Amino acid sequence: MMHQSHQSHQSHQLQPVPPPTLPAAVPAVAVSDLTVAYREQPVLWDIDLHVPTGVLLAIVGPNGAGKTTLMKAVLGLVKPAAGQVAIFGAPYHQQRQRVGYVPQRGSVDWDFPTSVLDVVMMGRYGALGWFRRPGRNERDLALAALQQVKLEAYAARQISQLSGGQQQRVFLARALVQDADIYLMDEPFQGVDAVTERAIIELLRELRARGKTVVVVHHDLQTVPEYFDWVTLLNVRRIAHGPVAEVFTEANLSRTYGGRTTAMPSR
Amino acid sequence: MLEFFLSLWSSWGDYTIRMVALGAAVLGVISGVLGCYAVLRRQALLGDAMSHAALPGIVLAYLLFGTRDLGILLLGAAAAGWLAAFLLLSITRHTHLKEDTVLGLLLSVFFGFGMVLLAFAQKQPTAAQAGLSRFLFGQAATVVERDVLTMAGIGALALVLVALFWKEFKLLSFDPDYAATLGLPVRLLDVGLTSLIVVAVVVGLQMVGVVLMSAMLVAPAVAARQWTDRLGTMLLLAGLFGAVAGIVGAVLSASARGLSTGPMIVLSVSSIVLFSLLFAPRRGLVWHWFQRQRNARRLRWAMQHGDVPPSVPVMPPADAPPDPRIAEQKGASR
Repeated sequence: MMHQSHQSHQSHQLQPVPPPTLPAAVPAVAVSDLTVAYREQPVLWDIDLHVPTGVLLAIVGPNGAGKTTLMKAVLGLVKPAAGQVAIFGAPYHQQRQRVGYVPQRGSVDWDFPTSVLDVVMMGRYGALGWFRRPGRNERDLALAALQQVKLEAYAARQISQLSGGQQQRVFLARALVQDADIYLMDEPFQGVDAVTERAIIELLRELRARGKTVVVVHHDLQTVPEYFDWVTLLNVRRIAHGPVAEVFTEANLSRTYGGRTTAMPSR
Repeated sequence: MLEFFLSLWSSWGDYTIRMVALGAAVLGVISGVLGCYAVLRRQALLGDAMSHAALPGIVLAYLLFGTRDLGILLLGAAAAGWLAAFLLLSITRHTHLKEDTVLGLLLSVFFGFGMVLLAFAQKQPTAAQAGLSRFLFGQAATVVERDVLTMAGIGALALVLVALFWKEFKLLSFDPDYAATLGLPVRLLDVGLTSLIVVAVVVGLQMVGVVLMSAMLVAPAVAARQWTDRLGTMLLLAGLFGAVAGIVGAVLSASARGLSTGPMIVLSVSSIVLFSLLFAPRRGLVWHWFQRQRNARRLRWAMQHGDVPPSVPVMPPADAPPDPRIAEQKGASR
């Protein structure tokens, strides 16, 4: 655990260690030479990541490390200055249907006049195509997803009447109805209570058991070894990336947080 | 009261008043429905910038083409309104300036430029410039049947587009980033929706003028939001409120000499807003106040009688065994 693995040294590592159960196949997410800048300041510098299929990956790093930007770059929401992103070996815009996104809860106005069921059905809008309204099928899928996050009793509620944890689960359900192969989640544990956190992590494990790949921006270092099997340590550069047992070391953490890990609040 | 309705009935026979009322109703529907999107996307002031920006467009169109043809003037208005919206969105995106700062700037620059142009146009020797200043506050009496039909046609087209792109506009308004990840052409939809709002503004210029037009976009939407939690109902109500305000304003202004139609329409719609803010169930201030009083009284009574409401968790015994989920959680994170 304390031995630093060789693969965290340089970013140009084209063959990641494959997960134990799978042969080295096409990675679920492959990021190469990615640099993103807001004006002249790079927020991400020369990032290379290969995320194998079927892992639960945490992206951790200090504030301003570029975690959310990395996720948005993978989703094509921010334009990189350099580099490529491939989803199962193909450009993102050809693979949209296979990627589900759970944005930060605070990114929308929860006073929007709509119901819980309606928000969850939005996850089907991409698959529906132009001019087609959601119907019985979309309704059933949305209700099933709400059941998975244990919110079926809230289907008809106006979304502003939900607690923070419930709002988070509505966003999870909306991504679930997409029936994607990869889920990208931006701080799904932000501001939820202990019981909700349990429910969410159980859901993530269930997704992994069904062969899905889940990438999560995470803040709580203490729970990384328990919740995740892969981790990316990020601070503008990729500090380390690989199985938790190999790269989640004191040495790598202090390289990520600049030797201030102990001073970091746990959340 | 009865007298008022009688005068309403008799005034309906008057061609001008009938046209003005119909035109105002059509305008109310269009601006009410499209204004909902402006309000929900927190761009309530966008309409204000667009309508003020329309003034230089109108005058420039007049100076360039030397015509008073309403269609040409309104095309100028639409081009200028669209330019203002485009400038607003791109300046906000590419600089550190906040949206309200840019709005304030654009609004006054465009409007000031429009006033200068207007003064210049009015010094022209030709008599044709007469009537340009009616676009400041609108002059509903100039509305004729052809105008009403044009407005109705444009409005119907706008409503059809809203219906066709219903789910796309809804998602764009609620969560544009997520819409983009689903593959919706967000930029294009944004331009489309903004253009529809420009159309609503332009349609209203002749009736209520550049200064008051933004009230027609914002007020019906704000009032409608008070009464419902569903987007579809909100759009229907906003259209209805806009239409009612239009008709009432038109009839009121006809009931006495010297009352301009535009301001009367805006006052009518403002009354609807005031009523809705105060009395709407669940969101209204008065309703809130009564609810809180009643609730507090009920809870005090329950406390005195030891009648704990079911939503309060049962107090667990102090020696209760620890919940394994919480214990695990605590062990893992601290």
